[in-house]
Parts: sequence; structure tokens; C-alpha cells
Amino acid sequence: MPLLEGQHVSKSFGGVQALTDVDFAVEAGTVVGLIGPNGAGKTTLFNTVAGAFKPTAGRIVFDGTDVTGLPANTICRMGMARTFQVTRPFAGMTCLENVMVAAINRHPQKPRTFIESFAREKLGLTGLDALAATEARHLNVIQKKRLELARALATEPKLLMLDEVLGGLNTQEIGQAVEFIRRLRDEAGLTILWIEHVMGAIMQAAQQVIVLDQGRVLMAGTPTEVVNDPRVIQAYLGE
Amino acid sequence: MTGKKPALVAALVLASLCVLPLGLGIYPQHVLIVSLFYTMMACSWNLLAGYTGQVSFGHAAMAGIGAYTSGILAVKAGVNPWVGIAAGTVLAAVLGLALGALCLKMGGIYLSLTTLAFSQILHIVIVNEYDVTRGTMGLQVPGLMSEYSKLGYYYIMLAAAAAVLAVIYRMIHSNLGLNFRAVQNDELAAKSVGVRVLHVRVLAFTVASAMAGFAGGLYGHYLLLITPEIPSLDLQFKVLAMTVIGGMGSLVGPVLGAFALNILEEYIRGYGEYHVLVFGLVALVVARFAPNGLLGLWRKLRRPAPAAEEAAAAGGRVRDASTGS
Repeated sequence: MPLLEGQHVSKSFGGVQALTDVDFAVEAGTVVGLIGPNGAGKTTLFNTVAGAFKPTAGRIVFDGTDVTGLPANTICRMGMARTFQVTRPFAGMTCLENVMVAAINRHPQKPRTFIESFAREKLGLTGLDALAATEARHLNVIQKKRLELARALATEPKLLMLDEVLGGLNTQEIGQAVEFIRRLRDEAGLTILWIEHVMGAIMQAAQQVIVLDQGRVLMAGTPTEVVNDPRVIQAYLGE
Repeated sequence: MTGKKPALVAALVLASLCVLPLGLGIYPQHVLIVSLFYTMMACSWNLLAGYTGQVSFGHAAMAGIGAYTSGILAVKAGVNPWVGIAAGTVLAAVLGLALGALCLKMGGIYLSLTTLAFSQILHIVIVNEYDVTRGTMGLQVPGLMSEYSKLGYYYIMLAAAAAVLAVIYRMIHSNLGLNFRAVQNDELAAKSVGVRVLHVRVLAFTVASAMAGFAGGLYGHYLLLITPEIPSLDLQFKVLAMTVIGGMGSLVGPVLGAFALNILEEYIRGYGEYHVLVFGLVALVVARFAPNGLLGLWRKLRRPAPAAEEAAAAGGRVRDASTGS
């Protein structure tokens, strides 16, 4: 049974149909890429899965439980964490506090000393140790993305959903980030659903790729199958 | 947060507040007592607006609930004022819980409007239910002591304000406080890391309402005459101005604001209705030149742009320090 499954998921905003009858599955222990042209509905699908939006129709099953329409905080507690495409750190709080918020909601009974060292460890993982006492609003975009990743990891998720975490990185940094994501899968045992425009990165890390176009699943397959599919090429390049 | 410094400062401030009224006359003592009432009001309103981002206009109404509950119980049933104040606190908490559960899901401007409506309804009921509340004539209630003593009231209010502040301090330095601030900073992000946003907001609303009820109850038994002035929008906006001018979202700011504005009000009382105008001007100037209030101004003067320095010292690449501020 897949860790995450969407069945006939649709979402519309007023008259705009953002997602139509989307079926997808994410197997446990894999990295799954979610790609598609701008406006294809990738982030909408994330929001619908993570509980920020309620789907207009369809069902979302996570870890054997129907989570359709549950609030985001409940879904998070069940083991799903996410980052945001446009970062949403707690701007007026320090980096450490940002991560501590996630930590206390995962471990509400643990003492403050545990929470702090736990949060510092997650900041260390994403290379933000030196900025622990800095307010998040002073970070640059890349640091904010790292902070969101640290915060998501501090919820100790089974499924980690990343929304364009590579934006603004150079080639070398992308390589490091891909390596980091692989390690999360192989060493920490995380399942990762990953929206990304950097195709090279997806090719290196993902076992499976889902292609969205105009709110529908265009195809799903291995990275090699996807990049060689004429429909995908057409969706990206046009007629 | 760090070490014993805040405790030491708090002890020093409390000690000096204990000796402060000794050399003063009746009138300055009265001003201080009222300031302590406003301290409780502003600090608890700050718990809502400053820490969880919920702008409620029903806070003065909750003080009114506390005052009238205790007053009516004392007058109609001869209940001991202390028991009455406890009852008023509980009733304010229950109403806060109900109002919170009813409208916090709406959030934002809808919360403000609903609490405004609640406040107005309560005001109208109190003014018109003459048999029970004595309307605008006011309800004469017994005092807290058998023998009236300004100094006695001062110490009662001081103890109460210290207790309210201690509870708030404990809350904001616990897990709950982190959740409060997360909700205020970004509700959606807070949800996404597992914060039970509704739960947190309703809790803040309930606790803050209870504190307002408690403060109102004490205040009524100090004034000995409870009028619809307590649950009025005038009082509500004064509390709002005190919090904003003092420094929203900080522990000390609303205390400064409460004392500063209440004392200022005594000086400008001579201008009659125009004193509201002066209040508005002060609020305007502060909002323009010191958006973080008096406390923010003080911090800014002490160390210019501390956060940017910190970030630079920490070796971070501060490329867009201006974003998101």
C-alpha cells in the first residue's frame, strides 16, 4: 500500500478548475518528483494534500487513513510535513524558536532542554547553527528555505513535501542539496514528494515522477520514461 | 529567558512599587491604583493582540462582566466581594470561551466586529436593565475592606497586577507562548508544523477574558460605584492605545503604556472632551515614529539595529535583510 494516495482529487476556486480528477500514489521510502509547467497545479495539489485546502472532490489517503478535509495541523501530527514555495518562516522569531515550534508540537511532554537541543540538531542538519539566535526575517531567501526544511524535519515526518527548494542555488549547491535529499531517504527513511523545476536534480534523486499539466495528471513513470515522453515534451515546449 | 536577570529586575521594580505610594497623597495614590487596573487590562489584551494577533474589542466588556457580576451578587445576594470577584472571573472566562469558540474561526476583521457587537450589546443591556444594574446611575457596591484605605487598595491592586503579569510571563515562556507567537506570525505555517491554531486562539481568548473579568471585579469594588463606563468602548480604546503606545507583543510595553497614558490623562483632563484628541495625536505620533511603542523606542536608542549586527556577526549572508520586515 502506498504511503500517500490521491483518488480522483479535484479542486476548483470559483470557476477556475485548478485540479481535475488527479490520481497519484507515493510509495514509502521513495523520492517522487512532481513536475509540470507553471500553473499546472503542483502547489495546489500540495496544499490540498497537506490540508491547507479542502478538495472539491476526491479522496486523499495517508498512511492508511483517509485525511481528506482534515485540518493541516492534524495531518502534520500524523506525519506529513511540508515547505512552502514562497517561504513562510515565523518572521519575528529566531531560527531556533522557529524550529522549536515544530519540536514542541511533536514532543509536547519533553522538557525545554530536550526541545532546544533537538531543534539545534535540526538547524545543524541544514547548516543554520550559526544563525540560531537571528530573527528569521533577517535571513536571505536560501536561508529561509533551509529554515523551513529544518522546521519540517523537526516535526519528524514520514512524508516530507518539498516545494521548489532549489530555487536560487548554483550548480554545486544543487548537487549538495540533492545529496542531502537522498540521504534523508536512505538514512532517515523518509518518503519525499518533491516539486521542482530543476529537472537534472529530479533525474538524479527521484524513482518516480508525476507530471501535471493544466490540472490533470499527464503521466507518471520513471524519470527516464518521463523525459522521453512526447506528451511531456509537448507540454513544456508547446505545439 | 536567560538566567536570573528578569527575576531580579522584577523584584526590584516590585519593591520600589511597594514603597512608591508611601510618601504620596491620596490623589496620586488613586492615579497609581487606576494605572494598575489599566496595567492588568493592557497586559491581558496584549496577550490577545500582541501574542496571538487577535484584535478583540470586547476586552472592556469582559471587565464589565467581572465588575457587574461581583457587584450584583454583593448588592442583591450579599455575597462576599472576594467570592463575587472569583465568580466574575469565571463568568468572563466562560463568556470568553463561548465567544472565542463562536468567532475565532472567522479570525481577522470578523473577530474584531463580533467582539465589537458583543461589547455594544452588553453596554445597551447594562444601561437599560435599570432594576438590576441601576443603568447609568451606577451600582453602589461594598468595598473590599471594612475600613476604606487607599493604601490597602493600592497593595491589593499591586498584588493582583503582579499575579496577572506572573501568569502571563509563565505562559509566554512556556510551549504555549511559542505556539502563541507562531500563530501570530503566520497562521498557515503554524498549522503546517502541527500547531492547533484554533485551540491556541480560544485558550488565549479565555485566559485574557478571565484576567479582564478579574481586573474589572477588583476595580468595581475599589470605585465603590460600577457604571457602564467600565464596559465601554472608551475604556476599550484606551486599553488599545496603552498597549500599542507602550509596545505590543512585549511583556513590559503595555505596563509602560498603561502608566504613561493614565498619568498623561490626569494632566490633560482639564481639556475636557479634547483629551481624547490628545490621546489620538500621541497614538499617531508613536505609530509613525516608534511602531514598536515606547519599549521599542527605548531598545532602538540603546542599541541601534541590533538584529542586523547579530546576523552579520553570525556569519550569515544577509542579502535581503529588508524582506519580510
